[in-house]
This record gives sequence, C-alpha cells and structure tokens, in this order.
Amino acid sequence: MATFDLSAPESPEAVVAALRAAGPGGATPLAGGTDLLFDLDEGRVAPAHVLSLRRLPWRTLDWVAGALTVGSTLPLRALEDDPQVRTLYPGLYEAVRNVGSVALRQRATMGGNVVRSAPASDLIPILLALDAELDLFGPQGSRRLSVDRFVIGSRRTELRPDELVRSIRFPEPRPSAFCWQRVRPSNDISQVAVATAYSPSDRTWRVAVGGVQPRPRLLPEAARELTGPDPPPAAVGRAAAVAAARSPFVSDRRASEEYRRRLVASLVERAVGLTRPAPPRSA
Amino acid sequence: MTDAAVPLTVNGHAHSVRDVPGPERLLDTLRWRLGLKGTKEGCRSGACGACVVLVDGRATLSCLTLTHDVPGAQITTIEVGPEDAAVARVRAAFAQEGALQCGYCTPGFVLTLAGLLHERGRRAAREELLEAAGGNLCRCTGYAAIVRAVERLATEDR
Repeated sequence: MATFDLSAPESPEAVVAALRAAGPGGATPLAGGTDLLFDLDEGRVAPAHVLSLRRLPWRTLDWVAGALTVGSTLPLRALEDDPQVRTLYPGLYEAVRNVGSVALRQRATMGGNVVRSAPASDLIPILLALDAELDLFGPQGSRRLSVDRFVIGSRRTELRPDELVRSIRFPEPRPSAFCWQRVRPSNDISQVAVATAYSPSDRTWRVAVGGVQPRPRLLPEAARELTGPDPPPAAVGRAAAVAAARSPFVSDRRASEEYRRRLVASLVERAVGLTRPAPPRSA
Repeated sequence: MTDAAVPLTVNGHAHSVRDVPGPERLLDTLRWRLGLKGTKEGCRSGACGACVVLVDGRATLSCLTLTHDVPGAQITTIEVGPEDAAVARVRAAFAQEGALQCGYCTPGFVLTLAGLLHERGRRAAREELLEAAGGNLCRCTGYAAIVRAVERLATEDR
C-alpha cells in the first residue's frame, strides 16, 4: 500500500498553499475518498501528502430564489434529506439517491464526483441536463465554469493543480428526471443512464447520457426533437431514436454497444415521460 | 498531521489511537488496534456493506473511511451494548427472524438499518429500510429472513 501523510488544513487558502508548495503530483485533495482511495491503494496516484477538505466550511446547501448551490464537500446523503431538492430538482434527487448505497453516500460528495470525472459517473448526466455551474477556488480568487466545459474527458477536467471546486450551482428549478439500467440497483454503476430536464425560462429541453465514452454528454440533436413542457409521443419517439443513433457508445465489460443503443431509447422515453412540472410550492 | 494520535469514542469508550499511518482505514483501526472484530472486511471497495459502522450516528463504510479523517468521531459498532436502542432493536429483529446463516454480513446489515432508524427518529418505512439494506450483500440466506426482519422493524410498535 502507498504511504502518505494526511493533514486537514483549516482554510481553502491553506489547502491551495499546500498544493502549490508540494508541486505537481506532490499533494492531492481528499473529499469523501470513495473514488480517490482506490487510486491511492493501487498506486495510480502517489502523492506524499493528502489534504483532507473536511475542515473547510463547504458542507453547505443554499437556496436563493429557487437556485440551489451545493457545497462541494457536503455528503450526498444530506441532499436527500432536503424536501425542496426532491420537489424542485427531482432528477437531481433521483440521481443522488441512486449513487452507491446509504453508507457510501455518507462519505461521497458532489465535488469529488465531478473532480474525479469517472466516465461512468452517475451524477454528471443530471448536472449537464440542469446546466450546473462550478465555482472554482484558486490562488487568484474564484472563477466559474459550466460542468459541460469543466469535464473534458475520462478522468480529465479543466481543474488547475492548485484549484478546488468550492460549490456546484443549479441556476433554476427544472422539471427533470434520471433513469438508469444496472445489474444491481445499489453499489453498481449504470450501463446507461439518461438525464432529462425542461427549462421553463428558455422553453428548451436538455437530454444527457451516461455510459458513453469518454465522458457523459449532452445530446442536443435528441433534445431538439422535444418542444414545450409536454411533447407529443411521436416527438418523444424521435428523440429516443436520435439518442440511440447518435450516442457514442462502445462495448465494454458492463454492456455491449448494441445493448446500450436499445437501452438508451427506452430510457429517453421513460425519462421524458417523468419530466413533469413540479407541484406547486406549499408548506 | 499523521503523527498525531487520533481520538475516537467507540461504543462510549474514549480511545487515543497512536501511530496510525495516513492510509489506514477505520475498518482496520477497529479490528486490529482496538480488537473489535465484529466489524467485518468483505470487498474492501464499498460494494458489500460488511464493514458498515455508525460514525456520529450515520451508517458509514469503514473500508472507505480514513481513520485520520474522523478524529473525535463517535463510532458505534456491533459490539455496542443495549444503550444503543436502535442497534438493540435491529439485533433483536434479526434474532427473532433467524435472519442469518454464517453471520459474516450481519453486523453490516444491523448497523446500516440502525443508522436509518437513528436518522428517522426510530421510525422508518419498509421501502426505505429495504433500499438501505440494498447496499449490503449476503451470500447465504437468500435474503427472505432478512426481509422479514426489516418488515418486523417497519411494523413493530415503538
């Protein structure tokens, strides 16, 4: 097993300073660790220092006029307990509560999921469909980047070596859904996952797909077939067919390309059907 | 820093665990330094739930938790006494339904379900209990008796 020294700086500035002092590859931030620990165990990364983010004041969940900002180190489990997440961002709620298991979500974080950028991430599709935006903290202050621009490939992001993800912002409540197919419901990764959302402000749909290489992606060609909050069945069928034809699937140990193409069509139809306006806000 | 002793309260007893290397998991600290072998190592990769303990009352995978990352935490393991009413209740339900064969996965199931009871103020719906238990693997009961134990938890009057 690799050896490393673990410390927990008290401020984001101190984490950034430690990252800079250690130089490239010398230090790694640790959020929940549910993904990073495997790389540490197997030596794919071998930093001398691991910097736990547990003392940063980022385990937060903030609402401003319906826009949701999730602190990067908030355990995913905490998101499930907020009733507004369920009603205003139903697709996000479904995606979060289907990550791993209850005991895994007590450690896992949204910041970690985005930074680790696994090609089979089950959160990135819904972040894409909801136009989520990251607040990045670095030595020059903060900058904002959409998830779509941040995630550039399998395990590759635009994060600079001395930057941290501070929060993930969801700009507006959207009817949304997340549908998946797995061998096992818990503690498994989807063979195909589909996230859909309808934006009431610009009256357009987003369709995102996971289980593709090199990273989850939006399918604007499929979304264009959908118009209005309640698209007719023929339009939904066309969107499903376009998703099946255009998704960059490959065969791997989880599923064949052919199986994924069949799956994605069903999942798009199901997800669009579940994407319905939120019930009126009450209580 | 890694050199510092890690304070942990385990089942109500305060410990100061010394000489813990940075990569050490809470699972290994509990089993090999504190001798609490009730917490089991299964897959060591977060897929089986055998290692679940409560960290500050919440069900947590101890195989994916660095000991140095939970200083000061209140840990509850299967060895806890009757003072943890939720753990005692789940243990009793498993015993009454005979919800185990070899018993290796049982501590993980019990702590997972007890964690949900803690979160929900002792009452939790059958579906939610079953979903939580979905994170735990058993390779010998066939799950029927475990599901009966869950139903007992969901329906018994508390």
